[in-house]
Amino acid sequence: MNAYNMDANIPVLFRTYESRETHSNCKIWEAARATSAAPTFFKHIKIGRAQPYIDGGLGRNNPSRVVLDEANSLFGARHIGCLVSIGSGHAETIGIKKSRGLRQIVATDIFDTLKAITTDCEATHEAMLGLFAKLPTTYFRLNVEHGMQEIKVSEWERLGNVEAHTAQYTRDLKKSL
Amino acid sequence: MLGRLRMDVDMAIKHYNTLAKHVFSNPKRWQGEGKFKATRLEEAMKAVVREATGDPDSLLLEHDETPRCRT
Repeated sequence: MNAYNMDANIPVLFRTYESRETHSNCKIWEAARATSAAPTFFKHIKIGRAQPYIDGGLGRNNPSRVVLDEANSLFGARHIGCLVSIGSGHAETIGIKKSRGLRQIVATDIFDTLKAITTDCEATHEAMLGLFAKLPTTYFRLNVEHGMQEIKVSEWERLGNVEAHTAQYTRDLKKSL
Repeated sequence: MLGRLRMDVDMAIKHYNTLAKHVFSNPKRWQGEGKFKATRLEEAMKAVVREATGDPDSLLLEHDETPRCRT
């Protein structure tokens, strides 16, 4: 899991295992809270030395590169068997509609940043495709491309729709194989 | 949920649904920093952790050295 330290603006990894850079002993719920503190959804959280955290979504929405770096520092330069990247559907899913009420309160640059996540996410995917171009059965990206645009993260009552779109996506994938 | 709490997919979906309902069905009346109440999110997260590990304040770090899924 991946969140941002707001002050230093650097990503922080929350690990369940020992590493040279293990984060201060935080609780499971604290790590979960820090990695879901998406601006405009929830306020930031302070853990331990009172560092404020926000969700790593801004700039690190697709953590493939972070995972590769982590694997490299843990296991050394070993052959990578498989990397599966799972998207949260079309990027607009994680966006927020520009409602007038919300716009008055939240700085508009946040909306611009949220839009930039789409680009950021796809750019990382493109970079991964390039990196694994010579290893055709190593890198996989699963991302439900159609139907998710209209479903907002907060629409918990529409989980059935998410399920239906995902089922359709996997059927299409199987056909294309 | 799939990682540290070692849930299977069906269990994770079930818990996510309960959590999302608890958190998102009750937006803040006055939006400050964030549209939804972080306290409700924390309550829901602690409830999930309690159900999976027995203790809502379980630590993220696992000292178990047996090879398992790392998250």
